[in-house]
Amino acid sequence: MTDGPLIVQSDKTLLLDIDHPLSTECRRAIAPFAELERSPEHIHTYRLTPLGLWNARAAGHDAEQVIDTLIKYSRYAVPHSILIDVAETMSRYGRLRLEADPVHGLILVTTDSAVLEEVIRAKKIQPLLGARIDKETIAVLPSQRGQIKQSLLRLGWPAEDFAGYVDGQAHDIALKEDGWKIRPYQELAAEGFWHGGSGVVVLPCGAGKTIVGAAAMAHAKATTLILVTNTVAARQWREELLKRTSLNEDEIGEYSGAKKEIRPVTIATYQVMTKKKNGVYAHLDLFDSYDWGLIIYDEVHLLPAPIFRFTADIQSRRRLGLTATLVREDGMEGEVFSLIGPKRFDVPWKEIESQGYIAPAECIEVRVNLTETERLSYATAEVENRYRFCATTRTKRDVVEALVKKHQGEQILVIGQYIDQLDELSEVLGVPVIKGETPVKEREILFNKFRSGELTTLVVSKVANFSIDLPDATIAIQVSGAFGSRQEEAQRLGRILRPKSDGRTATFYSVVSRDTIDQDFAQNRQRFLAEQGYSYKIIDADDVFQGKI
Amino acid sequence: MQSFSDYLRSVDDDAFLKLFSARPDLVTPVPPDIASLAVRACSSPSLARAIDSLNQWQFQVLEAAAALNEPFSLKSIVAITDKAAAQALDHLISIGLVYPSDDGMRLPSQLRDVIGNEPAGLGPASIAKVKLTEIESAPAEAKKVLERLIWGPPRGSVGDIKNPGPGVSWLLENKFLVPLDQRTVILPREVAIHLRGGKVHKERFIVQPKLNGTKRDERQIDLAAIANISTVLRWVEELLNFWADEPSDALRAGGIGVRDLKILSTRLGVDESCTAFITELAFLSSLISIDAEDRIMPSNKFDIWLMQTPSDRWQVLASQWLITSRVSGLVGRADTKNVAALGPELDRVNAAKVRALTLSILQENPAIAPEINSFNEVVAWRAPVRRNSSLQEELASWTLREAEWLGITGQGAISKYGVEFLKGEDLTVINQDLPKTVDHILIQSDNTAIAPGPLEHEISQQLAMMAEIESRGGATVYRFSEATIRRALDHGKTGDEIKAFLTKTSKTPMPQPLEYLIADVSKKHGKLRVGNTTSFIRCEDTTLISQIMNDKRLEILALRRIAPEVVICDHDATDTMRILREAGYLPAGESTAGIMLTGPRSNRALTKPRPPRVIGEIEIPTAENLSAAIRAIRTGEKSTHKQTHLRQIANEALGALPRTTANETMDLVNRYISEEKSLSIGYADNNGAVTHRIIDPIRVSAGALIARDHATGEVQSFRIPRITGVAPL
Repeated sequence: MTDGPLIVQSDKTLLLDIDHPLSTECRRAIAPFAELERSPEHIHTYRLTPLGLWNARAAGHDAEQVIDTLIKYSRYAVPHSILIDVAETMSRYGRLRLEADPVHGLILVTTDSAVLEEVIRAKKIQPLLGARIDKETIAVLPSQRGQIKQSLLRLGWPAEDFAGYVDGQAHDIALKEDGWKIRPYQELAAEGFWHGGSGVVVLPCGAGKTIVGAAAMAHAKATTLILVTNTVAARQWREELLKRTSLNEDEIGEYSGAKKEIRPVTIATYQVMTKKKNGVYAHLDLFDSYDWGLIIYDEVHLLPAPIFRFTADIQSRRRLGLTATLVREDGMEGEVFSLIGPKRFDVPWKEIESQGYIAPAECIEVRVNLTETERLSYATAEVENRYRFCATTRTKRDVVEALVKKHQGEQILVIGQYIDQLDELSEVLGVPVIKGETPVKEREILFNKFRSGELTTLVVSKVANFSIDLPDATIAIQVSGAFGSRQEEAQRLGRILRPKSDGRTATFYSVVSRDTIDQDFAQNRQRFLAEQGYSYKIIDADDVFQGKI
Repeated sequence: MQSFSDYLRSVDDDAFLKLFSARPDLVTPVPPDIASLAVRACSSPSLARAIDSLNQWQFQVLEAAAALNEPFSLKSIVAITDKAAAQALDHLISIGLVYPSDDGMRLPSQLRDVIGNEPAGLGPASIAKVKLTEIESAPAEAKKVLERLIWGPPRGSVGDIKNPGPGVSWLLENKFLVPLDQRTVILPREVAIHLRGGKVHKERFIVQPKLNGTKRDERQIDLAAIANISTVLRWVEELLNFWADEPSDALRAGGIGVRDLKILSTRLGVDESCTAFITELAFLSSLISIDAEDRIMPSNKFDIWLMQTPSDRWQVLASQWLITSRVSGLVGRADTKNVAALGPELDRVNAAKVRALTLSILQENPAIAPEINSFNEVVAWRAPVRRNSSLQEELASWTLREAEWLGITGQGAISKYGVEFLKGEDLTVINQDLPKTVDHILIQSDNTAIAPGPLEHEISQQLAMMAEIESRGGATVYRFSEATIRRALDHGKTGDEIKAFLTKTSKTPMPQPLEYLIADVSKKHGKLRVGNTTSFIRCEDTTLISQIMNDKRLEILALRRIAPEVVICDHDATDTMRILREAGYLPAGESTAGIMLTGPRSNRALTKPRPPRVIGEIEIPTAENLSAAIRAIRTGEKSTHKQTHLRQIANEALGALPRTTANETMDLVNRYISEEKSLSIGYADNNGAVTHRIIDPIRVSAGALIARDHATGEVQSFRIPRITGVAPL
């Protein structure tokens, strides 16, 4: 029995004891094939999945290496069934290959004709296939490359894609490292992506995903389409690219509700892409308007369904997905992986924090009591209105006021879901509010004022959940949210994670009504962060009023 | 010529010892004399059992012997098999499947029946002399026919025997084929053996096939095995703890229902076949019992078992598994009808035998994790089965699977624990090799706790109560949630106790959210109270309530006041009202919906009416029925008359009935079957009346003598116990 840092469980999870001296070495060894599931304080949980094992195969690791690694670091005997399963799963990879054939176009080739017979009989595969060429080869409709890869994956026979990517129209892009340096993990992420061809990079909020995008563009040296969540984010990308790369203003276009520029590097919003005119998507042509060499999806966890469908058709182009929180409450994570590509890079938030690239943060849950009358009306409220009722309770207003007062002088964001509540808070606090109806121009003015310190407090709705760079914000106060959404909580915390110039700790307050579903939702919302090792401290509203914290 | 009983009389004690240890059924119970021993040894069940114990080569030699005419010699067997036959023949003799008579080797009388009429696909011997050398000059069509028949079955059908094709007719003419009936021809034995190149079998499987598999490192095997051992012990304990909490209901037909099995399997985190195996293990080791209300619960033995050392606990499970005839692998197979775990349909006669064989093959091949096809080949050589061979393969593969679950094997190869267990040696080494238990957990802020190794029993039980197990293996991951904390509170823990326990057990400080979670749940727990009551009394006038509470005459009602205006009582509403009325109160009934029940009551039965039936009358049969009955009676009468008449003649001619003992009967019958003589027997009918029959014995099968009765001319079966005596004519 070795005394390793890893415990291999019979349900294919791997528990990594991070207080063990070998933990870093072990983490590096298992990262290529195991997926990080949770990374709280003491024990990190990884999981062996077919997808992860196949990715490892694709990256050149074989089953023997995986098994050796497991046995080497394992504290107890590795369950035999897992070793068998690893070997079996990995041996399924590569029996089918997608290749480009000079005569037949895209073809599916096998080394094991029984497998081919099995898959071509599958209902989901049949319509994607062309003519049978010989016993071991069959033609595939070129437009169905993404679809067939996805369906084969579901059948458990992943196809190795040798058909390659189109290079796209070449365009010279380089990183311009003057006065700043790309961080090691960013470089690893970009390289991991480039070697894999396509895929998703998961990095904490504020860890500089834009730079990873820029580095990927520098690898591709080709025209690039960047899809982002909204116009503000689009402008931020543009500024960042101007600052970090050799691109100049004329080379970067914005394709949004306001402008329709198509340039070698074009930044488009999801919103405009999914806008329908007379029942058809009017702007999907953008995908074909240039011979794009790279497509970047920012905040890929928000990717809307129509884009999913369209993404399936452009499998010959390189695709990079960027996100901090690949948890979708709609369970579409699998779709993201199969259409954009598998996860190429992932790192625990706390690890980046310990390297100093994101600010350390403290999470505090403030519990407020409903008054007697509020409790009674809550108890009798219709089920569908309950959350709104307890999330917008009057008492929260006082707590927010007290917290803002306590942090006087710091940059504070008050974030909420319900517009009436936000309007009320903006009035009470005497600060402006940014919500869906605020014009882009005004938003930018307000954000700029906030960045410059002219404004210290800002009330924002969910429009500021993502992609908004507010480097000096140190305090976020969340008053309500989209029910139990885990990624929203993480994204909101992300707003204050940019490293501070003075190395200050950020504080994230979540104001919650006690003994209501607000509290239940809060628990679910906190799960993702708790699994990343952010431990919530719970305090009482009275402590805030009495200045005890 | 010596009979089998003569031969037995001539052998020494050593030979008996060998015979009896190979065929224990011959001495259970001990036969009174050699004659009855011989009869038992020649009975088809005993022969079949002895044949089952043969390996493939021994069986081939036996088949070859059956293809020869008696008496035969070793030389003649070697000629049609292989030089190695001598050894196999010795074995066959030692277990009484072949015996040396004074004129050569012979087979026990019923052996041919057990093997079948066409040993190794060979037809009967030819009656006419055939010139085998002429077969070379057969026309092409004839050769084609021969090719079809050569490896058996030796029968072929032709359109019409009088007008066969050119090939068949040539063969018939030269006696290379013999007509069997209107449409069938048969290839005589000599011809087939000649065509087979003078041998009986196409291939002679003289040596056991080599077992292919993966070579494993011994250390890894033992490591894996010890992990399996600790896992199986944990499974059993977890299962029984679960049943102690929530007993499953047994099905009316016995066993666990599909749904319950599924619940158990999610609970244990293993698949359903493994769950079935664990439940069966617990059942075999009497750790569970099924009570009068069909609930499956741990027995007292479970408590004793828990106190034993791991090695003793494991030994209890493994040794019961080793000898059982129950096969948990049969549970819940997709292709067959559902068989329930713990149910009555799991017994298979050959289960223990195949299990023992599987384990001995593993033992003979240390450090090899067998490859399944190769393993099946070895099993098939060691125990060639002629019927239902798929079950044997399955039994063997299930044994491999279960041996792995039990830790008798590790990584598919036999472990040192398995070897020692099978040898019956001391297993305390298990206790030393099991991973050391840990006495602490690590609580993390995502409301999980991790036990980084096997937990001490007491702690794991406590923790299982207050958290859900999320992942199992070397370590255990527990998750706390509102529901699990509530469960602990329901078990009588208080919030403070839970907190104190976790603080004490956890190596890491208790995260605040968990502390709040416990506090929140325990604050809310028990705010609503629920209980059973038979009736209630309510009154808006609280003074009246106080009055009845203090009324001595109502003490019998044992009232309990649960609210100022509500009193509950364990008597039913009618009784309560009667007693209240007797004491001078004026209660009125109230329905559960709160409606006052007044007015006259007229009761109605809730069951369906069942009027009595009319008896004593018989329906008059129809004319057709009657005439059919008469016809049947007349036909029966005619044939009875004829038979009686014939038997009378026989009886008069022969006088007294023969009388022999059962063993003599069998001995004589066996002898005369081979000599093809007619016999005179006494035979008892259903009423015990003994009649005299003249018969030509044909064969003995399934406890009956098949013979042609001279009186009726028909082949009939005579049950052997009813034969009162036999005499040759």
